[in-house]
Amino acid sequence: MTTSVDPITVEVIGNALSSIVEEMGETLVRAAYSTNVKERRDSSTCLFDVGGRTLCQAMHIPMHLGSLMGVVEHVTARHPLAEIRAGDVFIGNDAYTGGGTHLPDIVMIEPIFVDGAVVAWASNIAHHADFVDRGHAHIYQEGLRIPPVRLYREGQIQQDVLDLILLNCQVPRERLNDLRAQMAANRQGVQRFQSLCRKHGVALVLAASEALLDYTERLTRAGIATIPPGTYEFEDRFDTDEIPDEKIFRTRIEVKGDEMFLHFESPPQVRAGLNLVWTGLLATVYYALKTLVGPDIPANAGLFRPIHVSAPSGTMLNCVAPAAVNSRTQTCQRVVDLIHGALAPAIPERIIAACNGACVSSTFSGVNPRTGQFYVYLETIGGGSGARATKDGLDGVHVHITNTSNLPVEALEPEYPLVVERYALVDDSGGPGKWRGGLGLVRQIRAEDHDCHAFVHAARRRSAPWGLFGGGEGGRSRIEYSPGVAPPVRAQTFLASGQSVAIITPGAGGYGDPRARDRALVRRDLAEGVISSEVARQIYGLTEVEIASAP
Amino acid sequence: MTGVQKSKPDPAWRVGVDSGGTFTDVCLVDEASGAIRVWKVPSTPDDPSLAIAGGVIEGLRAAARGTTVSVSYFGHGTTVATNTLIQHRGALTGLITTAGFRDLAEIGRQRRPHLYDLQADKAPVLVPRSLRLEVNERLRHDGRVEQPLDETQVRAAARRLKAAGARAIAVCFLYSYVDSGHERRVRRIVEEEFPEAFVTCSHEVAPEFREYERLSTVLVNAYLGPVMAGYLAGLGPRLAAAGIDVTPHITQSNGGVMSFEAARAQPVRTVLSGPATGVVGALEVGRAAGFSDLITFDMGGTSTDVSLIEGGRPKLAGELEVHGYPLKTPALDIHTVGAGGGSIAYVDAGGLLKVGPRSAGAAPGPVCYGLGNEEATVTDANVVLGTLNPRHLLGGRMAIDRGRAVAAITGLAERLGLDVMATAQGIISVVTANMAKAIRVISVQRGHDPREYTLVAFGGAGPLHAARLARELEIPRVLVPRYPGILCALGLLLSDLKTNYAQTRLMPAAPESLPRMLETFDELERRAIAWFEREEIAPAARTLRRTVDMRYAGQNYELPVAFPDEPNGAALLKALTAGFERAHEQLYGYIAEEEPIQAITFRLEAVGAVRRAELTTHSPATTEVAAARIGERDVWLVETRGFVSCPVYDRERLGPGHRFTGPAVVEQMDATTLLLTGQAAVVDAFLNLIVEVNA
Repeated sequence: MTTSVDPITVEVIGNALSSIVEEMGETLVRAAYSTNVKERRDSSTCLFDVGGRTLCQAMHIPMHLGSLMGVVEHVTARHPLAEIRAGDVFIGNDAYTGGGTHLPDIVMIEPIFVDGAVVAWASNIAHHADFVDRGHAHIYQEGLRIPPVRLYREGQIQQDVLDLILLNCQVPRERLNDLRAQMAANRQGVQRFQSLCRKHGVALVLAASEALLDYTERLTRAGIATIPPGTYEFEDRFDTDEIPDEKIFRTRIEVKGDEMFLHFESPPQVRAGLNLVWTGLLATVYYALKTLVGPDIPANAGLFRPIHVSAPSGTMLNCVAPAAVNSRTQTCQRVVDLIHGALAPAIPERIIAACNGACVSSTFSGVNPRTGQFYVYLETIGGGSGARATKDGLDGVHVHITNTSNLPVEALEPEYPLVVERYALVDDSGGPGKWRGGLGLVRQIRAEDHDCHAFVHAARRRSAPWGLFGGGEGGRSRIEYSPGVAPPVRAQTFLASGQSVAIITPGAGGYGDPRARDRALVRRDLAEGVISSEVARQIYGLTEVEIASAP
Repeated sequence: MTGVQKSKPDPAWRVGVDSGGTFTDVCLVDEASGAIRVWKVPSTPDDPSLAIAGGVIEGLRAAARGTTVSVSYFGHGTTVATNTLIQHRGALTGLITTAGFRDLAEIGRQRRPHLYDLQADKAPVLVPRSLRLEVNERLRHDGRVEQPLDETQVRAAARRLKAAGARAIAVCFLYSYVDSGHERRVRRIVEEEFPEAFVTCSHEVAPEFREYERLSTVLVNAYLGPVMAGYLAGLGPRLAAAGIDVTPHITQSNGGVMSFEAARAQPVRTVLSGPATGVVGALEVGRAAGFSDLITFDMGGTSTDVSLIEGGRPKLAGELEVHGYPLKTPALDIHTVGAGGGSIAYVDAGGLLKVGPRSAGAAPGPVCYGLGNEEATVTDANVVLGTLNPRHLLGGRMAIDRGRAVAAITGLAERLGLDVMATAQGIISVVTANMAKAIRVISVQRGHDPREYTLVAFGGAGPLHAARLARELEIPRVLVPRYPGILCALGLLLSDLKTNYAQTRLMPAAPESLPRMLETFDELERRAIAWFEREEIAPAARTLRRTVDMRYAGQNYELPVAFPDEPNGAALLKALTAGFERAHEQLYGYIAEEEPIQAITFRLEAVGAVRRAELTTHSPATTEVAAARIGERDVWLVETRGFVSCPVYDRERLGPGHRFTGPAVVEQMDATTLLLTGQAAVVDAFLNLIVEVNA
């Protein structure tokens, strides 16, 4: 241990830090206005030390670890620490200079002063469902770019800054009130951190925080050391509605003792919102490895130390300005597939077959005939989770880098001129195997009494989630518009009143030989309608007698 | 027991039975003298009613000492519902739901069970997919019928579920909280086709928006229905045979009691019956002692339950999840953490000391019991520190081995690079931090400052850890009830009949909404009055409490606001919005002045006061406090980083008015109380220990 704080104090202060970020998260969700934050919880909260290292992040969205990472450096690069005062609050969203990874994620960050000096930062991020009906050839088309600027100066709102931002938003009232919720969350974080310092003394809190990073590093190294050393490689295909062709991504992973080196190769960045900024790639790698080396390791900067990442700049997986980045979670999901796929031979009991591998996204916008106001409804839809070494995969969940709730029908329809016609699991979409992959979802949405702009896109349209060790592929994604809808251009089209779209998300891969699956489980799946009799017969090898006798 | 008051004519006893997994506690209170007796018998998990009836008979016989006695009240806390849910031993259940949505039971809110753990699983779905049947019908949010109910399909579904062997049927349609017509029609059809089934509709158990949470509630209710019915059918006659001819009551998660009849229809309301009863016990003990702002702290062997009571009223949970199932039923806001006396301490791969949630339980128990466990627990740390008696527990009935505890903790100390005593104290510090975190969730996180509350410590281990916990949270006062180990069973005798009605009906908090607001409350009141009648509650014993969940139009999380009792409409509305703004300011630190406010869910709490046991006061002690001092013990205290000789007091010999200061230890049969340096205790007229933390 590099500091002299005893391990018990570290544990006590670590508990306090995690309860601070959780409180901040609850406040943000409860006070927020947009369905994307208040119901779908597309937000995260975080404490940084004065130098910008993550001290503690609330368990919301793994991707936001990357969105927030680097924000302190961006703030202090523009605003020297010496000029920052208590009550200053910074706002930013730019993927290249603002601490975000795509423009709808707005970061708010406030310095925490104790005894006249900044000792830490409270920050949070919320995905604002705005900047819709845009192009995605480059980032300038995707929305307003905000570098870290002061929204509050010593407690005083900078109305001109706020006005400038709100004028560039399509649903300003929602933005304003979500920003208020973000403010409230940070205020709470600042006050709670200050009272922690009053109780234990700043020096002890900071020393314990430092020790907490060291502790996380030790856990991470111990976890990496359980992976057999060696070099592992994998490649996977990437395709979405936004690009006409298929891209190949590759990784090479070296495990050396208690450190890992990951290198990624991908095609040059594209004129579509599918590029991933450096911090986004890092967040994805940290997520993927945390699932393998220790799911309960704290989400702080100590985790990053033994993990070394490289990728050529200007490529899809490490893009440079002004590449468009809006739909980067689709890309992130494939990065997780790469890492898990590469390490499957090394740690087959820990790796799961490919999850749905998409972040199927649907955005509907238009003028609500009930209110005359412009609305935006955003929802990302889960799918199958991969089959595991000893059990089936999970059906219909958000996987990997994302983890948002669905919007209840009874919260959606009163607010938007849309009708949910169906929300169900997709039969036969779970990859067959000794252990079956999880099922995808279908969500069917109808426009009512207005023309609605729809932006619906998914990865795994042509490539499928792979199985492991003899397990089969999971089902692919499909997007089915009702008759009469104009064919989408780069995933965008319009629904007239009464027209609908059925969004079908991918299932997940199976694990092990389907013929080795417990017959009782195959019969149960057949009886439950999870698999068809054809799949039961041809893939699982159920006899006609067994099929006929299924309940 | 001394200090009698309030003599009553009949020689009757009030009986409370808390039926737990290991023991069935019978608490008897003599109506005439207020004397409290406790009878403990081993539980009979296969048929809990055996131990209950047996325990009552034995307890009454012992209490009566040959005379004849009658039972004037019977209250029962049960773990039948919660155990059925944990063990997945509920009835085969079918579901009838809106076409297009049968998989909602499985999808839930689409979030996975753990962010990073790929091996984590969701709670099993309580109804197989083949028994989730869809029927054509569709309502819209404004109550419009977009598609009428297809009754032929409903009839076919009922027959199919019957043929499949289902014993319970849940009915859940979209927007049934707006208009329950379709669900009610289904109930009638199912009752015709399949009269022996247990039928339950979502609008009956949770008429509130968010379809998944409502569905989950009605599914759990269906799943428990036949089990609870069977249990009560067995228990009723046994109680009658034991001579109990009063209406028996059962406790529910909201801290109130209800009749067996009501429990049969809505067993889902009893899933937190045990911990809720403890909260009621703490509330009443606190109220009698003169404290109405309380944080309850119930620490047992495996877990700790905490809750917050403001102004004598326990908080209801906004969101409740039990064993992985969200439930929209009225429940006290009780937060549970896996921290108890049996919680196991270990050093993790990163070299930090962790405690729990794994527990050594009652058997084999802590290392010092010598029953085979080798891993140090919280109790072992207390034995090593001397805060617990290092030779025996349970008033001498159980010998313990401090040497074993020292050996186990030495193992941890070597890995941590600390000495044995610092490690033992470390275990206490870590478990205290875990419990403090739980209390922060129900206090600070909900906008309440723990520095304004009194900590009521009970359960086997609560009194021992309360002093440090209070110091950690800057709670100024700790109350240790006379009988910390049986507060749940005692709480059974202090509970009122209580039920909660709710109706979601979205409207602006504006003058034009007033008639609908009042009309909504009128509807709820009619239901409450019908319930009062069924429960045979006299008009004078009835209380109604109205609240409205409100939010800014645009938010989706509401804040409960008391509905003002004010005949003038304009003044009422003003008071209502002011109440909302106060709550918003308190919780979030701001008010959005230009934003319109909405009323969402209207809630009515109906309370029927039952004749409850009275807590009796005792005359001031006539002895000196020194007479209660039974010895001295060396206790290792972190403040001095060494052993300090502490007086040991016998709780039995402490009487009203006795005062003493810490460091000190108070021993009684089922608990040990620790006072730290700088803390002072006084015994009140109810024999509670009141510890001033910053004295």
